[in-house]
Amino acid sequence: MEMERAVHTGDRDSQEISRLLRAWSDGDQSALEGLTAIVYRELRRLAHYYMEAERPGHSLQTTALVNETYMRLVDYKRMKWQNRAHFFAVSAQLMRRILVDHARSHNVKRGAGVQHVSLDEGAAVGGDQQADLVALDDAMNALARLDPRKVQIIEMRFFGGLSVEETAEVLRVSPATVRRDWSIAKVWLYRELSGDRGDESGTVETTR
Amino acid sequence: MNRERWRQLDNLLHAVLARPPEERDALLRQACSRDEALEREARSLLGLELEAHRFLETPAIEVAARRLAQQSRENGLDVAVSSGRVISHYAILEELGRGGMGVVYKAEDRRLKRYVALKFLSDRFARDPTASNRFRREAQTASGLNHPGICTVYDIGEQDGRPFLVMEYLEGETLKQRIHRAEGRAPLDMGTTLGIGIEIADALEAAHRAGIVHRDIKPANIFITGPGSARPGHAKILDFGLAQLETDEQITNPGTALGTVLYMAPEQALGLPADARTDLFSFGLVLYEMATGNLPSAGMRLGAAPAGLDRIISKCLDTDRGLRYQRASEIGADLRHLKLAAGSAKSARHWKGISTIGAVMIAALITTFVPFHRAPKLTDKDTIVIADFVNGTGDPVFDGTLRQGLAAELGQSPFLSLISEQRIQHTLRLMERRADERLTFELAREVGERTGSAAVLEGSIAKLGSKYVLGLRARSCRAGDVLDDEQTQTGSREDVLDALSQIARKLRARLGESLATIRQHSIPLAEATTPSLEAWKAFNMGFHTMFSAGHLAGLPLLQRATGIDPKFATAYAWLGRAYGAIGESELARETTRRAWQLRERASDQERFYIEFSYHRLVTGDLEKAGEICDLWAQTYPRDPIPHGFLGSSASSSLGKYERAVEENKKAIELDPDDSMGYANLASDYIFLGRLGDAENTLQRAAARKLEIPDFLGHRYLIAFLKDDAPEMSRLAVLGEENSEFEDWMRHKEASVLAYTGHLRQARVVSQRAIDLALRKGRREAAAQLEAAAAVREALLGNRAEASRRVTPAHGYSNWRDAEYGAALAMAFAGDSSRAQRTVDDLTKRFPDDSMVKFSYLPVLRAVVALHHREPYKAMDLLQAANAYELGYQGANSVGFAGSLYPIYVRGEAQLRARHGSEAAVEFQKILDHRGVVFADPIGVMARLQLGRALCMAGDTSKARAAYQDFLALWKDADPDIPILNQAKGEYAKLR
Repeated sequence: MEMERAVHTGDRDSQEISRLLRAWSDGDQSALEGLTAIVYRELRRLAHYYMEAERPGHSLQTTALVNETYMRLVDYKRMKWQNRAHFFAVSAQLMRRILVDHARSHNVKRGAGVQHVSLDEGAAVGGDQQADLVALDDAMNALARLDPRKVQIIEMRFFGGLSVEETAEVLRVSPATVRRDWSIAKVWLYRELSGDRGDESGTVETTR
Repeated sequence: MNRERWRQLDNLLHAVLARPPEERDALLRQACSRDEALEREARSLLGLELEAHRFLETPAIEVAARRLAQQSRENGLDVAVSSGRVISHYAILEELGRGGMGVVYKAEDRRLKRYVALKFLSDRFARDPTASNRFRREAQTASGLNHPGICTVYDIGEQDGRPFLVMEYLEGETLKQRIHRAEGRAPLDMGTTLGIGIEIADALEAAHRAGIVHRDIKPANIFITGPGSARPGHAKILDFGLAQLETDEQITNPGTALGTVLYMAPEQALGLPADARTDLFSFGLVLYEMATGNLPSAGMRLGAAPAGLDRIISKCLDTDRGLRYQRASEIGADLRHLKLAAGSAKSARHWKGISTIGAVMIAALITTFVPFHRAPKLTDKDTIVIADFVNGTGDPVFDGTLRQGLAAELGQSPFLSLISEQRIQHTLRLMERRADERLTFELAREVGERTGSAAVLEGSIAKLGSKYVLGLRARSCRAGDVLDDEQTQTGSREDVLDALSQIARKLRARLGESLATIRQHSIPLAEATTPSLEAWKAFNMGFHTMFSAGHLAGLPLLQRATGIDPKFATAYAWLGRAYGAIGESELARETTRRAWQLRERASDQERFYIEFSYHRLVTGDLEKAGEICDLWAQTYPRDPIPHGFLGSSASSSLGKYERAVEENKKAIELDPDDSMGYANLASDYIFLGRLGDAENTLQRAAARKLEIPDFLGHRYLIAFLKDDAPEMSRLAVLGEENSEFEDWMRHKEASVLAYTGHLRQARVVSQRAIDLALRKGRREAAAQLEAAAAVREALLGNRAEASRRVTPAHGYSNWRDAEYGAALAMAFAGDSSRAQRTVDDLTKRFPDDSMVKFSYLPVLRAVVALHHREPYKAMDLLQAANAYELGYQGANSVGFAGSLYPIYVRGEAQLRARHGSEAAVEFQKILDHRGVVFADPIGVMARLQLGRALCMAGDTSKARAAYQDFLALWKDADPDIPILNQAKGEYAKLR
């Protein structure tokens, strides 16, 4: 539990995340495990706040909280990456992967070796409350076949928490273009997910 | 929607969005004036803009976190945040951990004033009767255990319908945490290992005595009390959550394995009921991990357990539970002995001294799970049989697929040799079983015994939650003892082939293959073959169908395999072979070329096959093909296939029949049930004129109950060469009954008719053969048959008939052999321009083709030279064919062969140069190779030409004998054949 409750020292985490991201983007799949653990930890922290927030007598500024979380996870300003754009793309892609996997797993992972709990391995937990991120992921895969750039924009903005300007910088297009792409991608995905398809898009296959 | 269409739509949407809202409508109408669908689509999307305004505006991590919060609430895990909340008389202090089934809190028992651990089942499980039954059962069983080495269960309670356990609160860390340090895995020192080991053994003994099996012994379930505890540094077994009463089997469905796969005993992985000895297996692994810091794995040779402990561990790990320790107390006793011995040893160094010896031993033992005193490895003389996999997943895609995959994986090994499919099918037939019967372990073992094999491999796949568990076990055929046992698990269906590769590779090492050859010949299955299980399955079925029901039957399945995975190199290679075998040479070339382009995706052994096929079928470079086969045979000395190819194809084309015989004998030796081996050997004997040997070979095959349609062809050739007319007619009838061989048989009949001068009848039969081929869609075969008939007419002097046949032949196919045949017929008939065009075309299309370079081109050029009255030039040109002139050039069983034509044309050139005796030598060669020439028209023409040559040489009496020989053969010949009349005239002058 000590690890779980550890005080977050931004610097150390940042360095570690930076290192892991680099390793992951260089093809080291084991780095994903470390990154996943960190993201999950943050996810649990946030969830914890939301639960508290809904109890009487609490009013937390959750937007600030999310920003803080992103800062902690992907503190772009402090990352000394040669290729800032590449880093944005990688971290957004990674967030997508981790969050979607999390949703897909239907299962809340626990921290390493704690007393009395060894229930996760092999235990199948039903339910699909989190299916929407998974459905979104599928729809994004479908969209990627038509227009990979739009998917990147969704990745960076929605999953990576980047602003329009940051996204524009990464993709080397104007912020206005990012805004329009963002709107188009959103309506396309929205329609895909609401099952209300136009005539022509009927040929785009989603796997769910 | 395709990308092009999307781009159009996207551009339009960008344009529209760039405008203020009031202008958008007009723009849309204007831009889509001729594309209503585009407008509709654009409006459909734009119409959602407002509705989707908030969509995706909340960052993903917030979405996920809110979901998580919601889910936790739904599952009743919200107590996590309610420190201080009191349930019954327990005050919740903090969360200790959570898992898929529930959550554990530290709490204070207010009545007894002590800390306890509360374990709640999540709502979802509380609602599930199976899960909550298991939970209550846990409480009952565990509360029945009162032992210092087992975490005590105090009570069971219920809160809002959700059951919870009250357990002893422990401070410290789990054994897993102890071993998995932040800086890496660290073994425990020997004293601690033994101390903890003894405590676990005692605790297990107590549980087992009470009739309780833990079923999930692993380091994460063993707690080591910390310095703050009353008794620090002691072991406690946690979580009898999976425990079941030994006598109560129905709680856990026997088919569903539950333990942690890594530490599972083999019987558990197979879904068999667990007993006390199941725990002892897992305990052995825990001991190993404590002593070495790692789980046993392939190739690990460092830091293994010290001597003494290795014996104990290996006895825990016997795959056969009857051979393991039977009771935990026995392990406890042995560990205590060891501890005493260690205590009396001078120093800890001493331990290390022994451990170097033990290290190697234990690594070998543990990793193979083979009892310590035995080393039953295989040698490279042994063969093995693979049984069908036990598929416990219910997913039919694994049926057959895994077995074939394993065969492909192990086939890469030059060390291991698998009994071939044909041989297995054949053996099953001898056992009066169906050839396609499911090969259970018992059946495979019997097949193994009958084929003198050393081992049987049995595999299994089972589903465990969302994971797949693969098992592989090698057992000796004779005693049935386990030589090796491998297990692995994988998270997804797509990774199963890959996982299979990995354990198969381990198995290779354990069975005695050197690491060097494994490294050299190991391409993961998914790369080597295909990542698609469906494609693999189609290939697998196609492959088997091809051998059991013929090439034509296997074709659609192989096509399907390449359809599913268009990068499936091996499937293309076999598809190419199938096309070649049914006479579709162009398709065969195209498909084989594709396989060759994708050859990097094939295993070493497959690559040999692909490269060989490429040179045989695509470039036609038979020397290269031969070199590859040589290398192939050297690398995989026990693979019969390269020998078969070396024998049948490469050497025969080179006319090295003696070597061909040797290679085919070797192929048969390596696989005595491969019918093609006998077919090839019989052919070689026929080529050599050794008819008795050929007949013996066919009899040997018959004695093994091997019979393929090809043998009919061999018997027909033998009967022909023995002038056994009744036997020939009998076989002809049989051949015509076999639909696949009918056109072939008709063609042979026509050739024989022409050979004896019954040319008119021959034409009728030839036509029938051609029509048959066309009706079956075998246009290439038809073209070759037509060309063969044209050559015959030209040689016998019917120029007009020859040219009449050339035209349709060319319309059917321009395949190499047909084109050559047609050009040759025209050249013999006096049209050398056609020959020249063909020379140019073949040179361009087949620059490396041995047959083209060393036979077709020299022959065509020489015939052209003869037209230009340049016999010496013709002889020069024919020198290119010297090395190949005796080769049998029927690359496939249909159509025009053209063997020995270089010799025939050289004889003709010598005649033109007025070198009678030299010409006679050439024609005599043809008569001496009747087995190669068969009923080809040069066989009959050589008799006449020999007479002419001898006459020219001044040997009148021999010349006369040669003419008589010819006229005797043609005694009933059609009277209107031009050369017959010439011969009669020449013979008359001789007298």
